Amino acid sequence: MITLNNLKFYFPKGKRVFDDVTLSFVAGNIYGLFGKNGEGKSTLMRIMSGLLFPKSGQCRVFDEDISKRTVSCLQNVFIVPEEFELNGLKITTYEQVNSVFYPKFSKDQFYELIAEFELSKDQKISTLSFGQKKKVLIAFGIATNTKLLLMDEPTNGLDIPSKSQFRKIMASVADEQRCIVISTHQVRDLHSLINHVVILNQCNIAFDYSLSKVSNHLWFGKPTQGPQESIIYAEPSFTGKSVLIREDREESEVDLELLFNAVLNNSDAINNVLKNTYHDHAV
Amino acid sequence: MTMQFSLKRIINSVYRDVTVLRGSIVTGLSIAAGILFIAFLLNLGFGDHSITAEDYAGTSGLLYVLFGVLFTFSIFKEVHDQKKNHLYLTLPISPVERVIAVWITTYILYTVAFTILGVLIGQMAIIFGSLFSKVNLHFISIFSEEYWKMITFYLFVQPVFFYGAIRFGKNRMGKTVLSLLLVFLGILFYNFLIYGMLNHDFDVFSGEQLASEAFNLAKKDFSITGRWLFMIILGPAMFLAGYFRMIEKEV
Repeated sequence: MITLNNLKFYFPKGKRVFDDVTLSFVAGNIYGLFGKNGEGKSTLMRIMSGLLFPKSGQCRVFDEDISKRTVSCLQNVFIVPEEFELNGLKITTYEQVNSVFYPKFSKDQFYELIAEFELSKDQKISTLSFGQKKKVLIAFGIATNTKLLLMDEPTNGLDIPSKSQFRKIMASVADEQRCIVISTHQVRDLHSLINHVVILNQCNIAFDYSLSKVSNHLWFGKPTQGPQESIIYAEPSFTGKSVLIREDREESEVDLELLFNAVLNNSDAINNVLKNTYHDHAV
Repeated sequence: MTMQFSLKRIINSVYRDVTVLRGSIVTGLSIAAGILFIAFLLNLGFGDHSITAEDYAGTSGLLYVLFGVLFTFSIFKEVHDQKKNHLYLTLPISPVERVIAVWITTYILYTVAFTILGVLIGQMAIIFGSLFSKVNLHFISIFSEEYWKMITFYLFVQPVFFYGAIRFGKNRMGKTVLSLLLVFLGILFYNFLIYGMLNHDFDVFSGEQLASEAFNLAKKDFSITGRWLFMIILGPAMFLAGYFRMIEKEV
């Protein structure tokens, strides 16, 4: 559905951001895109929405080169950027002037989400806080019903109740037809929402697996028994949390933060374990 | 596959641009209205106590072009705003549709709106003048040769500012005017060079009658040719350059 083939990207006079990246995103999933600051999460989002063009390689969205920004392609893509400003219109006017360009836009869904986010449709956007503007844009993005929804740090600027509200809403709008990619460095905000993890590190994809595969092969927690060689990564902290090869242990909850640190520490070890298909067949 | 050209999307795009810029349009037209009112009153006071079609074009011409250029620059503000351009460029509108929509808004709609404003303000000035001075109450007339010249002139110069508005990110108006001056000086120098090379044997630089006649002739002939060349080549070329700039724009 969305494929990045041998993608290379660098900024003029800047460091290389992507070096021969090949990756694909499939409908029906909510992807969590993680990486350290400056690893290119936002850049990848911009490439996938056609705002930046790869220096070589291709980004194809629904069999079309997104960098051509054709109408048919853009009608299926919506991006919620990390930093943005909306035109100072009333929410209703904002919806009227922008929704007409998206054929699958649902007005009812938009105003339901606006109400759910405790906003009034008659409010003027210029009087809203950044977090509230973000809610308007998230609601609009969801209501466009595009096949690809890209969200760059969507929880930045949202208060604590709004973050859980966001997770609830996102879980309710995910379906088999839609691919949602959420980029963040606040991994805890996406806990229980995403079902696939992509981690960027050193200009490449360091990790690209579904959470079901992760929980099938890896075990997260404080090891109390078992051979020490099954430990892949251990936090050098008081809690002593570790990532272990699951083997015959009970399934554990995936600790995204621990997984992220483990991948950055030794991605080869993690990837080698996940290539093993024993549990995929056994479970 | 969805068509890359849709009249409905162009109309929607025009509506969006006008709605988003509603505040700037109202402010701009209010300022223009104020200036026009004073200018018409002065015209009535110092002239023959009436506003003829020629007076109308003379009074409103400069403002029409100036505010038109400002409007053309403001319509592309969203493209250069780093916090707004993501949403602008990912809207499902093709570059051709955008260029056409912007031209309709900044040329056709603007001309109609400015003309209506000019008529209303002119008529108000006549009524005001008739109440407080010797001005005879009459209906303002606008359509004269000067009026059509003014509209045609703006039709020619607007594409240059259209391109400047999309090409430059910062100090857009200054850079466009500077570029225009440089091009103008370049053409002037080139013409002078060619003219000098081809005519230096004919003593046309001596300041004699022949020289001024030659210049006048050349000016007359060239102005018509140049105008047509500008209309047929440079105007559409500027729109084409703007179109490619829009395609290549990365944010």
